[in-house]
Amino acid sequence: MELAHLWGILFISLHAMVPITLAAIGESIEESAGLFNIGLEGILLLSALTGALGAQASGSAVMGLVTGMATGAIVGLLFGFISTTLRGSQLISGVGINLFALGFVALMLTVMGAPGFHSVAREVQVALIPLGVGNLSPLVLVTVVLAIVAWWLLRRTQLGIWIRAVGENPAAADVAGIRVNAIRLGAAIAAGVFAGLAGAYLSIDWFGAVTKEITAGRGFIALAIVVFSGLNPLLALLGGFIFGFFDGLATWVATYPGIKEIIPWQFVAMAPYVVTLAVVAGAIGRVRFPSALGVPYVRE
Amino acid sequence: MASHSSTRTPVKKGDVLLEARGLSKGFPGVWEHLILDKLDFDVRAGEVHTLLGENGAGKTVIANILSGYYEKTEGEILVRGVPVHLRSPREGLAHGIAMVHQELMLVPAFTVAENVMVGLDAPAFSYDISRVEQKLEELVERYGLQVDPRVRVEELSAGQQQRVEILKVLYHEPEVLLLDEPTSLLTPHEADQLFVVLRAMADEGKGIVFVSHKMREVFAVSDRVTVLKLGKMQGTCHISDTNEEELTRRTFGETVPEYMERPAVQSEALALETCALVPAGLRKNPDAKGISIKVRCGEILGLAGVSGNGQTELIEALTGMVSPDRGEVWILDQNLTGQPPRVFIDRGVAHIPERRKEIGIVEQMYVAENVALKDYRKQPFSKATVLNRQAISDHAAQIVKRFNALVPDLWETECRILSGGNVQRLILGRETWRKPPVIIASHPTEGLDARAIRHTWELFLELRALGSGILLVSEDLDEIMSLSDRIAVIFDGEIVGTVDGKGANRENLGNWMAGGINRAA
Repeated sequence: MELAHLWGILFISLHAMVPITLAAIGESIEESAGLFNIGLEGILLLSALTGALGAQASGSAVMGLVTGMATGAIVGLLFGFISTTLRGSQLISGVGINLFALGFVALMLTVMGAPGFHSVAREVQVALIPLGVGNLSPLVLVTVVLAIVAWWLLRRTQLGIWIRAVGENPAAADVAGIRVNAIRLGAAIAAGVFAGLAGAYLSIDWFGAVTKEITAGRGFIALAIVVFSGLNPLLALLGGFIFGFFDGLATWVATYPGIKEIIPWQFVAMAPYVVTLAVVAGAIGRVRFPSALGVPYVRE
Repeated sequence: MASHSSTRTPVKKGDVLLEARGLSKGFPGVWEHLILDKLDFDVRAGEVHTLLGENGAGKTVIANILSGYYEKTEGEILVRGVPVHLRSPREGLAHGIAMVHQELMLVPAFTVAENVMVGLDAPAFSYDISRVEQKLEELVERYGLQVDPRVRVEELSAGQQQRVEILKVLYHEPEVLLLDEPTSLLTPHEADQLFVVLRAMADEGKGIVFVSHKMREVFAVSDRVTVLKLGKMQGTCHISDTNEEELTRRTFGETVPEYMERPAVQSEALALETCALVPAGLRKNPDAKGISIKVRCGEILGLAGVSGNGQTELIEALTGMVSPDRGEVWILDQNLTGQPPRVFIDRGVAHIPERRKEIGIVEQMYVAENVALKDYRKQPFSKATVLNRQAISDHAAQIVKRFNALVPDLWETECRILSGGNVQRLILGRETWRKPPVIIASHPTEGLDARAIRHTWELFLELRALGSGILLVSEDLDEIMSLSDRIAVIFDGEIVGTVDGKGANRENLGNWMAGGINRAA
């Protein structure tokens, strides 16, 4: 195997790492505060569409990313409002987000005249950084930085203490003067922004197109990574890279002459999902979650 | 926040630090009276002022209002003579008022220092943990509250966690410290240590409000005492101007009998027996010989102990909720070890649980449904799987009436809106109306008023006379000593001593509860 192939696998892995990790970081923050949003997949899908539309309308990739983040923020706000003020079931509203996104994106793609597929013009895609051995998306670097920042925020700031206290013991946080629902709402919006960025990245950076299957379960894999990482954004980055690697490996095996004829690509394409299953099965019971995760807070 | 206190002018001993005038609080609908009715109360620098009252008297509500957690309905709060409006615990702290809640308000996964940081009013992106740890070490030194700021709270004992709660509020250098039943998780010895700390804080010029319903503690620590009954003041006096009998009468309306007289146990038949029982979920102690107790028919066995020493796990094994790790459970000479709860229920084991809102009732279901919860499968309450609503209504109405439960409607009132005392009345009715041969009662009178407590005690003695074997689990030694034919003390998952109820020595029991190993027969 030539060196170029190794670079190729590494780059694919890094690019595949981005959306999963971004969504997982946001979800780590949200779950630290006690909310559990199973609707990540839906947010990814919605913002992949709105991000592409935003980029085309404005003619700017950055504006596309911003549109994706704004979409995520709005859905996050809605989810946060339902989960705090209305004390609704987080599971149901999360499932609702996913179902809505499935239907809405498929409908929009049809309305836009390209059933199931909508490509994004190259000019409004995110510009890659040429590195000689290959082109790297700047969002890879952004993801690494954000993982570190999120870790610092949760573990090394006063705000992080408040967020985690709200997730562990909201009554204790309340008597200490923390506005429990405000923190939770903020965390839900933050998680939405992260997932929105991840979704926009899918369409206007990595794939350069929107399809109704563009997310391919990445939102759920992100949830699995959160379990694996025990709400630690740095471990989420590592987990994201591992899954990205299997994603990359699958692509490489499916295209490499001499191997692709021996191993059916369908099997290799399963790899990231099988690994997810194995890792989560191993992590469950070992990892500890906030005590009040998923439980609405009511005073008195 | 901490800076506020240093800028305040110094206080002289005897200055009024915090005062409430005409304080009232009502909760609409649910309660039979105002929770607080025009209360006047003050605390002065250098004193420990005890708020004494039975459960439900409104003590916790006052403390919560004075600390800013609850809103008052009416009245005035003055800090050093200046009226204030406290909208949150943080505003209370800013005025130098701190509260230690009855339930532990800690994050178990955090260290002691991190728990303190939860309450800091610091910038969001700051992180001053080393300063917090340093200041905590100073406080530990100053008040002798031994605890390591770097240890996770979940690794600490209940007594140590209580110290963390106090450190947490002392960190803000409050002038007034409100403590709501701070000894409920402590052994008598740990409680005495706490009183030394409270005295030291009072001597520094702080005002201490100590909330309690235990007479012994009142005399151990207070300078003044205010008695509350059903939300109304019964007067304030200096501790030297009163005595235990007078306070008891004012608090409970009558003196509590030391021991309720009854004929000796007649039967030798066993209602309940355990053989070397090791319930599931106990801290692993490989040397544990397990719990062996016997309750005869027509006998009340009191099980005393500080909570968390295995009572909950024992009861789970005795009611079939959780299969024990080792040992056997015999009910009326049948080995029921490992059987499900329904078998225990059908054999006549009644269960009055401690966590009544969690496992005593279904909060979202109506009163009548909850009353029929253990009988709905039997005639006349149902026939061929169809419920007989009329029979259930009649039955529920009877129980509600007999136990004086305050219930707006049998089929429209969800149990979640009832007060703890009313829920307990329903549970007592449901569990005892069949006159079951075995009764397992955990804290059966918690949250009841004096009259209801007396009724409950009389009911237990009546059932005892009819041949019920009763296991009474309680932290309240008064209740155990008044009711029990024999008293067993549980410590760390084992029975450390058993004595006759009549003439039992409180000090001995206290020692055993604290783990003093004196394994009498």
